[in-house]
Amino acid sequence: MTDVASRNDRVAFVTGDLGFQVFDEFQSRFGPRYVNVGVAEAQMIYTAAGMATEGWRPVAYSIASFATARPFEQIRYCVAYPGLPVVLVGAGRGYLYSTSGVSHHAADDLALMTSLPGMTVVAPGDPEEVVQLLPQLFELQGPSYITVGRFGEPDYQALEPAVLGKARKLCDGERVAVLCTGEIANEVLKAVDVLRPDRIHPSVYQVHTVKPLDEATLSLLVDSFDTLIVVEEHVPAGGLWAAVAAWLASNGKVVRTMRLGAPDAFALGNLKQAELRRRFGIDAPSIAEACRRAWRKERAQ
Amino acid sequence: MTGSLVHPMPSQPGVSRELPYDEVHRLQETARRIRATCIQLAHDGKEGHLNGALSSVDILLALYGGWLNTTPVDPRNPDRDRLLFSKGHACTSLYAVLAESGFLPKEMLALYAQNDSPLPSHPCVHALPLLECSAGSLGHGLGMAGGIAYGLRLDGRPSRVVALISDGECNEGSTWEAATFGAANGLDRLLVVVDNNGVQSVGRADALMGGTSIEEKFEAFGWRARTVDGHDIGALLSVLREVPFEKGRPSAIVAKTTAGKGVSFMEDQVLWHYRVPSDEDLKNALAELDAVPIHFSV
Repeated sequence: MTDVASRNDRVAFVTGDLGFQVFDEFQSRFGPRYVNVGVAEAQMIYTAAGMATEGWRPVAYSIASFATARPFEQIRYCVAYPGLPVVLVGAGRGYLYSTSGVSHHAADDLALMTSLPGMTVVAPGDPEEVVQLLPQLFELQGPSYITVGRFGEPDYQALEPAVLGKARKLCDGERVAVLCTGEIANEVLKAVDVLRPDRIHPSVYQVHTVKPLDEATLSLLVDSFDTLIVVEEHVPAGGLWAAVAAWLASNGKVVRTMRLGAPDAFALGNLKQAELRRRFGIDAPSIAEACRRAWRKERAQ
Repeated sequence: MTGSLVHPMPSQPGVSRELPYDEVHRLQETARRIRATCIQLAHDGKEGHLNGALSSVDILLALYGGWLNTTPVDPRNPDRDRLLFSKGHACTSLYAVLAESGFLPKEMLALYAQNDSPLPSHPCVHALPLLECSAGSLGHGLGMAGGIAYGLRLDGRPSRVVALISDGECNEGSTWEAATFGAANGLDRLLVVVDNNGVQSVGRADALMGGTSIEEKFEAFGWRARTVDGHDIGALLSVLREVPFEKGRPSAIVAKTTAGKGVSFMEDQVLWHYRVPSDEDLKNALAELDAVPIHFSV
């Protein structure tokens, strides 16, 4: 953020009283271009929207659930409807804050944000992807939503740079293509490692931009692979799976598809994120097993 | 842009009875014609909400006539004062005052609430880019005004920002998030005018807010607030001249108004929040106002 703000003097940062010490440098360098509105997510969006109306390029920052579901009407009415270039940042989407309870779970954020006309929706998988994609959002004329992690995840190796609106190839493989979005990409990459001794090589595409969907790449994948597996830390409605399935159906594309993701349920039980992912079948062993099943189906043909 | 006001008012401070008689008389006559216009629009467009429209007429005339530093010659001047009309349902009064002040051609009023109209029954910035914001969902105007005022101050602009909100919007929690923000950031170029007509969609504001004082609430949130007769244009202009009431604090004016003001059979009745006037209602209302609309209706 500091880097973006030092290159663009219209960038400002609005927080809903979150990000303790994380943005100290930004605040000390840019003074009133940093504003903490307090625990007031509606006002966080109003402040960003009002500043954007006056030509500023504000970021509004909170925990993903409080950045999206809480001020949804403000985002819809005061940002998306007038089409203002506000960059909304949600920290810890999915179940990153799993043990904080349902209040802090954001497994519906992509559904909420993709439902808004004109909203660009981005869920990077590692800090490097955030660094590459964030500046691209400031080139947009309209609103966007981007998620960030806990600022401590490892960076992964990818085969190409992260380009807004384009599915990013992380692994080259054959027959099975895994499509993922957000930080669950790291589990998918672990699954690829698990499968290597079995000589099963799925391709992995990180669909960081959920909206607009990269239809060109999808089209190629349908033609080149026997099975598409969508992995998402999201409820079934309105996430990457929903977007891919809707696109396939709308375009008459026929390909074997599988979904690994959270069920249509609130995640109860105060479970650690790893345990939640295990139970929802989106941890590395579950993803590897799904790839094996898909791979065997091709063998049987 | 100083001196570019649409209706320049006497510069010396004074209460209503100190304003020149001719000026008060002229504004009162304009107010009657604006009210007639609102009722004609509601009748022709078959969209109601006359209570809040008629109660806000004098406030809008005072703002456009003697306070807002903005001009139809250069309506997007970056140093202009901004008005956010938050009580969107009541927009017939806004459209009529904008037309009267030269910001819209008067003939455009005939398009109110028609298909593809620049003047929909809830204002939309895509339909009418002249506006600072769309409105229809309640409780957003003051928060947006705070963000705009913050952004303008950061740019070093002299502009003032006023949000015209309804007392019903003081039910919304977001209004009080906005009040907190305005005080915390010392936005003394921010003004809220509350059209306190006492009547909401299906109930009365007093009952729905437990008889609490809007002025005291803004004071408690760190604003400086005054209550004024919202139908006394002279009194409104007088209090507006004193904004900001205190340096470093945002200002609130609670304008005591009457829902449906100016037409005896509409005044202070919840019924006229939504009701569309019939041909007979229109005729009787115009006769009582002794005024004709400012536009030719189709």
